[in-house]
Amino acid sequence: MSEKLDKHILGNGMVILGEPMEAVRSVAFGFMLPSGAARLPDGCGGAGNVISDWIFRGAGKRDKRELVEALDGLGLHRSSGVGSSYIMIGAALEADNLEPALELYADIILKPRLEKEQFELSRELAIQALLGLDDDPRGKVGLKLREQFYPQPLGKNPFGNENELNKLTAEKAGQIINHSFKPGQMIFSVAGKYDFDRVYRQLENLFGDNTRNGLQEVTPGQKGEQYVHEQHDGAQVHIGVMTATVPVSNKDYYDARTAVSVLSGGMSARLFTEVREKRGLCYAIGAQYHSLKEMAGIGCYAGTTPEKAQETLDVVLREFNRLTEGISKEEIETAKVKLKSTLIMESESSSSRAGGIASDYYLLGRVRLLSEIKEKIEERTVDSVLNFLKNNSFRDFTIVTIGPRDIKVRDKI
Amino acid sequence: MKFKQHILDNGLSIIGEVNKAAQSATVGFFVKTGSRDENRDINGVSHFLEHMLFKGTKRLSALAVNEAFDRTGAKFNAFTGEENTVYWAAVLPEYLSEVIKLWTELMRPALRKEDFDIEKNVIKEEIAMYQDLPHYDVTERCKALHFQGHPCGMSVTGTNESITNLKIEQMRDYFNRRYAPNNMVLACAGNFEWEQLCSLGRAGCSQWQKQDSGRSLESYSGSKEKKRDEKANLVREHICLFSPAVSAQDERRFAAMLMATIIGDDVGSRFFWEIVDKALAETATMQLEAMDGIGVFYSYIRCSPENDGKVTEAIEKIFEDINVKGITEEELQKAKNKILSLLTIRNELPMGRLIDLGINWLYLGKYRTVEEEIDSIKAVTVNNIEELIRQLKPGDFTRFSIGPPQNSKHID
Repeated sequence: MSEKLDKHILGNGMVILGEPMEAVRSVAFGFMLPSGAARLPDGCGGAGNVISDWIFRGAGKRDKRELVEALDGLGLHRSSGVGSSYIMIGAALEADNLEPALELYADIILKPRLEKEQFELSRELAIQALLGLDDDPRGKVGLKLREQFYPQPLGKNPFGNENELNKLTAEKAGQIINHSFKPGQMIFSVAGKYDFDRVYRQLENLFGDNTRNGLQEVTPGQKGEQYVHEQHDGAQVHIGVMTATVPVSNKDYYDARTAVSVLSGGMSARLFTEVREKRGLCYAIGAQYHSLKEMAGIGCYAGTTPEKAQETLDVVLREFNRLTEGISKEEIETAKVKLKSTLIMESESSSSRAGGIASDYYLLGRVRLLSEIKEKIEERTVDSVLNFLKNNSFRDFTIVTIGPRDIKVRDKI
Repeated sequence: MKFKQHILDNGLSIIGEVNKAAQSATVGFFVKTGSRDENRDINGVSHFLEHMLFKGTKRLSALAVNEAFDRTGAKFNAFTGEENTVYWAAVLPEYLSEVIKLWTELMRPALRKEDFDIEKNVIKEEIAMYQDLPHYDVTERCKALHFQGHPCGMSVTGTNESITNLKIEQMRDYFNRRYAPNNMVLACAGNFEWEQLCSLGRAGCSQWQKQDSGRSLESYSGSKEKKRDEKANLVREHICLFSPAVSAQDERRFAAMLMATIIGDDVGSRFFWEIVDKALAETATMQLEAMDGIGVFYSYIRCSPENDGKVTEAIEKIFEDINVKGITEEELQKAKNKILSLLTIRNELPMGRLIDLGINWLYLGKYRTVEEEIDSIKAVTVNNIEELIRQLKPGDFTRFSIGPPQNSKHID
C-alpha cells in the first residue's frame, strides 16, 4: 500500500522494503522474525514474549545496560509484538539516527548474548504479563476468541500458558532463536525519511550471510469450541464474537471490507446505531476485520453489564445476519469514503506505513499501491457486496464471554 | 507552517496552523471545562454532556449527526478530562468545511430529555467498563485520596449514584455556564484554508453569548496518605502514586517532564532498572500531568501480590537516591533525546499538532512552535532538575493500591 515502493531482496532471500515519505523528519523500521506463536514448537507457548525481551538483555559487545543506553541515546522508541506467524521488533526515531540504530538491531537479532540469568528474568516477566491478563478481561476476551476461532495453532495466544512457561529453559529458547532468526526468513521494512541505497547496502553488510532457509508452513489442525465462558466477577460481561470471511489475498477481499464497514465503520454504522444509540446496551461495541495469511475473520467486541448481556449478543448476531437482507446505496457510499479516508490518513504515519508494507508483503507476496486499493474500493457496489454476502453468508459464530454470568448460545447459530 | 489567530467579539478564539504539505487536516473545539468545574451533585456532568453533544441539535437527530460525519469519512471523537473537553475530527481536506460546519452547529445542542435518558445507560456502562480496568480504577481512587476535597480529585465519569441522580435541567444549566465562547477555542491544524476557517467560525459562532465562566484555582499540597483496597476478582497488585508537580503555566514544566522520564520512562529509567529489569513488576512508569495552576506526577506499577514489599522498598530507594545523589548528565541527555524524538514523531501528524496547539492556547493563551518546545527542552540543566527534586519531594507521595484479598492465593 504505497505510492512509491523501494524493494531489494538480498542473495539469502531477506526482503528489504521501503516507503519514502515526503515532509517527515522521522523514520520507522521493523523486522519481522518468523517465530510467532503459531510457529513455536509444541510445549513452548509464550516463548515469543520471553525471546523478545531476552534478546534486548545484552548483544554483541554491549551488556544489557550499555545496549539500552545506546538505544536510549538515539532517542529511539521501541515497538515489539508477537503475532501468529511473526515477532515484529522495530522502532521509530529521528531520521539522522537510522544507521547506528540498524547496527544495534543487527546485534540484537544476530548476536544476542542470551545469558542464562537474564533468561530467568525474561521468563518471569512473561509469566507476570500472562497473569496480568486475568485483570484485563477485555484484552483477554480478544485473545481467547482468536484462540477458539482459528484452527490450532494459528490462533495461539502469544502470552502462552503458565505451565509451559514454567517449563521453558534457556536452552530451548536459545534453540528457537537460532532456528528462526535467519536473515533469509526475515522481512525488513522502513518508512519515512531514508536513503534506500544506503539502507540496503548497510543491511547487506549486516545481514548478508549465505544461508538460505525456506520457511516451513504451519499446518492448521482442530478448531476450538463454538462457545466458551470464563467466570470473572467483574462489573461487565465481555463478549467476543467471530465469524469467517475471506483473507486479504482473496478476490472478494474488498467486498468483505466494505461489508464490515457497513456493519461497524463509523458511528452511523449498524452495530453502533442498533446496540448503543437505540438501545443503550453498551459503551464499547465494534467489529473489525482480522486476517492471517491462510484465513480471516470478522471479530466483534461488546462489553455490557450482566443483565443486558443476552440482549446485546442477540442484537449483534441479528445485525450480522441482517446484512444479507439488503444494504442501501448510501450505506455503501459511506463505507467506501470511510475506508478510503482511513487509508490516506494512516499513510501519514511512518510507523503505520512500515508495519503496513511488511504485512502486505507477508500476506500477498507483494505490496499494494495506494492507487490500486483506492480503485478497488471505488469499484464496490451494492450488488457486489450483496453477492459476496450471499455466497459467503455468516454461518458459524465462535463466541467467548468473560464475566459474572454466561449467556445462552443456540446450538447452531 | 504558518500560525494564524482571530478572536471574535464574543471572545471565541479561532486559531490555526497551516501545513500545506499535510494530506489531511484536523479540527477541534477545545472547551475549558471538566470534572474540576463540577461539584458533588453534578459529578460526571462534563463527560455526560460531551456524549450529549453527539445527540444533535434542534435541526439534527443523533442518527443524522453520525451520518453527516460518516459521509465525510472523518475520524472523529471527543474526550473529557479534569480540565478540558475536546471535540476533534481528522479528515481529508476536501471534506473539512463540512466537518467544521457540523462541529460548530453541534456546539449548541438540543439536550433532549429522551436522548439524555437513553445515554444515561451508556454512561453507566462506561463506568462499569472502567471498574473492570484496574489501572484506571486505581488511578481514579489515588487521585481522590491525593486531592481530598480539592476539585481536581473528582472523578471524570462520575459515579453510578451521581449519574443516576443527575437531571437534564442541571446539565442544561452547566452547559450555559461553561460552553461560553470566551471559554472555548476553535483550532485547526494541517492542510486547510485559514480564511475559510475564519468565515465558517464567524458564521457559526458569532451569535453565541459571552458568560462569566471562570474557574477557581485553589492550591493544594496532597494528602500523602497510603491506602489499600481489596477486590476479590483481582490477581495482581495495582499500585498508584501521586505527588505534587508544577503547573502547565510554569516554566519548570520541561524540567519536570524530563524528571518523570528519568525516573519512570518505560525503558532505561530508574524504575526500569530497579523494578522492571529485575522482574519485580511487569510495568512501572511515571508521568507528569501539568494542569491549570497545579500539577501532579503519577506513577503506576503492576506486580504480583508477593512482590509488593520488594517493589515498595525499591521505590523508596529510588526516590531516596535521587534526593541524595541527584541525577547524572548522561541520564538527562538520554531523556532529552527520547522526548525530542517523540515530539518530532507526534508533530508529523496533524492530530498531534492540533492537541498541542489547542492545549497551549487554553493554558498559556499563546502559540508555541515545535522549535520553541525543542529549545525549552534542550535548555534544561541537571541543576534545574535537582532543584525541582528538592522543592517537590516526589518521594513524599500519596499511594493507593488495589489487589486480591491478602490471605488468598492465586489458583490456576
